[in-house]
This record gives sequence, C-alpha cells and structure tokens, in this order.
Amino acid sequence: MRNGTIALLCAALLVGAVATPGAAAAKKLNVVATLTDLASIARSVGGDDVQVTALCPGTRDPHYLPAKPSLARKMSKADMLVYDGLELEIGWLPQLIRKARNPRIRPGAPGDVDCSRVITNLLEVPPATVDRSEGDLHPMGNPHYTLDPRNAEPIARLLADRMADLDPDHAEAYHRRAEAFVQTIEQHLPRWWEETAALRAHHVLIYHKHWSYLVNWLGLDKVGEIENRPGIAPSPRHVHEMIRKSRRLGDVVVICATWDDVDQVKEIARRIGAPLAVLPGHTGGVKEADTYVHFIDTICRRLAEAAAQLPE
Amino acid sequence: MKRKKKTYLVLLVGALAALLAGVVEAPAQASSTATGVSRLMNPAISANALVLAQTSADDDAPAANGIDLQEAEMQFTSVVDPFWTANMILSFHRPEDGGDGLATEIEEASLTSRQMPAGLELKLGKFYLPFGKHALLHTHQWAFTHAPVAVQAFLGEMHDVGAELTTSLPLPWYADLKVYGTDGQVEGLFAAEDRDLAWGAHWTNLWDVSDNATLELGGSALTGPLALGRQQYIYGVDLTYKWTSGTRNFGPAVHWTSELYLPRADGRTGSPLGLYSIVQYRFARNWWVGVGGSIAQDTPPVEGHEAVRPDPDGTVDYREGKLAVTFAPSEFSDIRAEVSYIDTDQPGFEDLRFAVQWNFTIGAHPAHLY
Repeated sequence: MRNGTIALLCAALLVGAVATPGAAAAKKLNVVATLTDLASIARSVGGDDVQVTALCPGTRDPHYLPAKPSLARKMSKADMLVYDGLELEIGWLPQLIRKARNPRIRPGAPGDVDCSRVITNLLEVPPATVDRSEGDLHPMGNPHYTLDPRNAEPIARLLADRMADLDPDHAEAYHRRAEAFVQTIEQHLPRWWEETAALRAHHVLIYHKHWSYLVNWLGLDKVGEIENRPGIAPSPRHVHEMIRKSRRLGDVVVICATWDDVDQVKEIARRIGAPLAVLPGHTGGVKEADTYVHFIDTICRRLAEAAAQLPE
Repeated sequence: MKRKKKTYLVLLVGALAALLAGVVEAPAQASSTATGVSRLMNPAISANALVLAQTSADDDAPAANGIDLQEAEMQFTSVVDPFWTANMILSFHRPEDGGDGLATEIEEASLTSRQMPAGLELKLGKFYLPFGKHALLHTHQWAFTHAPVAVQAFLGEMHDVGAELTTSLPLPWYADLKVYGTDGQVEGLFAAEDRDLAWGAHWTNLWDVSDNATLELGGSALTGPLALGRQQYIYGVDLTYKWTSGTRNFGPAVHWTSELYLPRADGRTGSPLGLYSIVQYRFARNWWVGVGGSIAQDTPPVEGHEAVRPDPDGTVDYREGKLAVTFAPSEFSDIRAEVSYIDTDQPGFEDLRFAVQWNFTIGAHPAHLY
C-alpha cells in the first residue's frame, strides 16, 4: 500500500514538473478565435505579428460545435481568446476554457476578448422575461452580428486595442492595420449595397435568425423564418404557413446556410416556386469565402444571382 | 367616527403607495449594495428529473414493475473568488433499500482551482471519481435507463471526498492525467477504517481522426481498503469513437464507447471481469437509436437482479443486451423507449424488461463533458 502511494505521488510530481509551461516563450501573439469571421479580422489586424487559430470551422454551425478536448489543447497556449459572446458559444466554450486551464484567457483576464461588447446595433434582444417555449433563444440578443459588415469595424478596432495591450511593441502596427481594414470595409460597402439592389424590390424567407443582421443591413423585406423557434424543428403547420404566405407574395428568395437541411429547404423553395440562395454561414463556409471580405462578397453575389431569377 | 374612517383610508392609500413604490424599486434593489442581497452573484442553477415506467418478466421484483421518479437532480455552479470555482450536485431518488420516501444525496460538492501554475488543476471536496467514461456520467446522460451491468457490478456510484490533481502531458496529442486520493468510502467498493485512503489515476488520450471524428483511449487504476485489512484493486481501459456530420446541423452522428474492468481484490474468488460496449446513432434530426451489450463475470449478485442462485463461491456471471430509441425534441428534454434482456450462467434466471423514460432539464445547466 505504502509503495503504491509513493509511486502515485512521484507520478504526480513528475507530470507537474514536465507540464507545458504555456506560450510565454512564443514570439508571435497566439490568438484563438471561436469563429472564422473573427479569426479573419484578427489576421487582418495582427498581420505577421500574430498567429491565429479558429476553433469552429466555417462549415459548421457554431451553436453545435462538439467540445473536443483537442480544441482545449489549442486554447491552453493562447494569449488571447476572441469570441462572439451573447451566449452563442455557451454550449461548448465554457467547457473548453475550463479544460484549457489557461489563466491568460479566463473571463476577466487581459486575453479575454468578447467582441459583442462593442456592438451597438444588437437585434432581437428579448423582453425582460424570456423562457424556452420560444426555443433556444439567446437571452442577450441575436449573436450573429458578423453578418453585418459594418460591425466588423468596431471589432477590428477592439482587437487592435487588445493586441496592443498584450504586445505594446507592435501597438502602432496593430492600430494601422485595423484602420486599413476599416477602410477596406468602407470601400466595399457601397458595392455590396449596389450588388444586392434588385433583391430590395422583392422579399426573403430565411431558414433561421442567423440572417437577421444581413436582412437588417441590406434593408430586405423578410417574410419570416422557416425555423421560427431556434433549435426546434419547425412544425408542418408553420412550414405550410410560410409556403402559403410566400406564394401569395410571388417574388420571394429563400435563404439558408450550407449547414441547414438543404434538401428540406429546396423542397420548400420548389413548392413556393422561389429561387434558393444557399449561403456560407461564416468565413470558410465555402471555398471562395476564404477571408471575411470574400465571405461577404460571396453572400452578396449569391443573393444577386438568386434575385436575378425572379420575374422583373 | 367619520374622521377615523378617513384616517384609515389615508393610511391604507399610503401603505399601498409604499408597497407599489417598493415593487417599482425592487429591480434596482436586486443589485443594490444597500440591500446586501445582490442577486447578480447567484450561482447558475439547474434541475433535472427522470421519470421511469417499466415492466419486468419477473413479477416478484416490485421496483422493476411500475412508474416512479427515478431521480431528480439539482446543480449549483459558481465562481467563488479569484481562486476557486464551486460545483454542488444534490440528488433525490428512491432509497437503496427500496423503502418509501426519497433519499437525498450530495453527489458532488467541490472546489476547482482557477489559478494553478503550469496548467495544473486541483479539485477538493466530494466528486465523481475519474474512472473510465461511464462512472463520470450523470443519470440523465446515460445511453439507457440503467447503467450497464458491468458498471453496476464493479463500480456503482463512485463519488468520494478527497483531492484530485490534473495536468496535461507534453505529448503531440491531447493527453490528460488525473491523480487522486480520497477517503475510501465508496459504498460497495471500499470499506475504509481509520486512516485508510483510496488512490487512483486516470490517463486520457484523444486524437482527431478527422475534422469530424475523434478516437479516445483511456486507462484507469484505483485501489482502496476492504474489510479485514484486504486491499481492492481495479484496472480499466476505455475506448470511445465519435463522429458527427461536419456540414449539416442535426445530421447523422455515431458515438461508440466500450470499457473493460478488471477488479483484482486481495483474496478474490474467480476472475472478475466487466465489459460493455454501447453504440448510439442519430438517424434523424431528433432521433437516436442505441444498442448495447455488457457482461459481468464472477461478481456478487447485482442489485435489482438478486433473484439468482450464486455459485458456491457466492459469485455469478451476467450477460445483458439492450436496445433503445430516443426522441429528443430539444436539448432540454427527451423520451426513450427501451427493451433489455439479462440472464446468468445459472439455470432459471433471466429477465426481459420494457421501459419508457422521460427526462427534462430546466435552468442554466452546464455543458456536458465531451
């Protein structure tokens, strides 16, 4: 018994001694972002001075990312954790933060960056009382704000500030790149607006509230959501009601993400007689959306193509 | 008299006004330092309940024939201060002896460190012993209505009071090592006297087989005191494969877990061995099917399946098979239909059971382990 006890204690001491001491010796700022949109903005701001890793691939819905311990391993060496907030990642991020055992990125630590803090146009903030009869609602508001590229600007400036705090030697470069990124967005905004002009004369039926910020930014007329209660399969009656409403309008584009049940949405679009726009949900959702700017590019182009299929 | 009535009226209106003012002020006071009872610091609270309806081919097993509240659980989680996070789980269930009423149990009451150096984590208090995979699951996370017979026979409800240290191993893949020492008071497993303690370790390795699939291999060892100065040793190996569709929400998914237990107590009889394997498959958005098999060899009779004549050495071999279909309309509720069959190496004992189980969770329930 005594021998066994001593052996276990020795093992504990040994593993403690050889445990990875973190990323203190790393030259580049190690940034881990939950979403590929945020990772792309972080790369634009950080340039060669940072190393950026995204946890959730752009092909996956960030509501349902499995909390793989291998993701915690990536976070264990991070200097900065950039996340969307508003409880979008609540199903997996707290678990990963705990498993990462990295005090640099714990809530309240200098490396903890909640991007929702700088978003001023939050949509769908529920009234004071909220319950799950309306589905898996986000009680602090719709968290899909990166679908409005105007929100990328304060995010870039926030990241520059926080990177400068953690890495003062490159502070000027971070701020310079953030302003360049903001200028890029400002230059593209009129073009994106113009490209989607035809759609503003028609209506859109969206699968999920993921697209609320896009609809709001582009000034689109929304018929409704197919999945009206987030996280809950829509009832046949509700789907029938959406189809009936859309048919009556006659000029509707149906919008869904690559990760939705595209076959089901195709069938709904067919029954309406409407064009379908299958859009990447985040940067990297399709091959050509390899950066945040290209992601918004892809969305606008696919919406314009769908609108072109509607009668004048 | 009239003046008196008027005075009462004024007092009544004044009291109502004060009451209304209090109601209006209440939200502000909820976070006011003046009241000293800020609700902002309340822990995350959740509750879960399991209702089980079952029928057994064994008419003489009342616990296996009827509808019952299988278990209700409350969980409280909060940061304590800059150094600790606390977790407390209270469980309410039928008494182990099958008596009336509900037994209350503290399954977990632990502190977990937030600021240990070198990636270490320390847990103190009462907690689930990290032995393999199934022993760490709460009842509402089980794939079936009951734990595999191998788990029931050799592990049971493994929570104890002590300390646990966790560290990451510097390997090219995810590797975690936990070592722990506890009081040695796990019912059915240890019987500590005086200053006897139980000690154990669990080593987890996980590889990303692809973007959507992982393979996990774990090894566990646990030793603790038995009566009359004897020592209990248990070794375990667990293997888990998980795959989920990476491109479609609620698409197909597979979870396959197998565990092997080798108890080696001093003065044991026979060659005790436990084994189970469970496969779960999501075949539609809200639907899962699960298939499982388990054996427990050279074990004393297992609770709920005692109607058996053991071998002369007091042990028996069990074999079990299960099939379940689960409908989960959301993350917070599900309903399960299950058929299970169990028999032994003894003639005349076999049992076929049908069960339906409801499960719901309310409140801010922490995300489950991967």
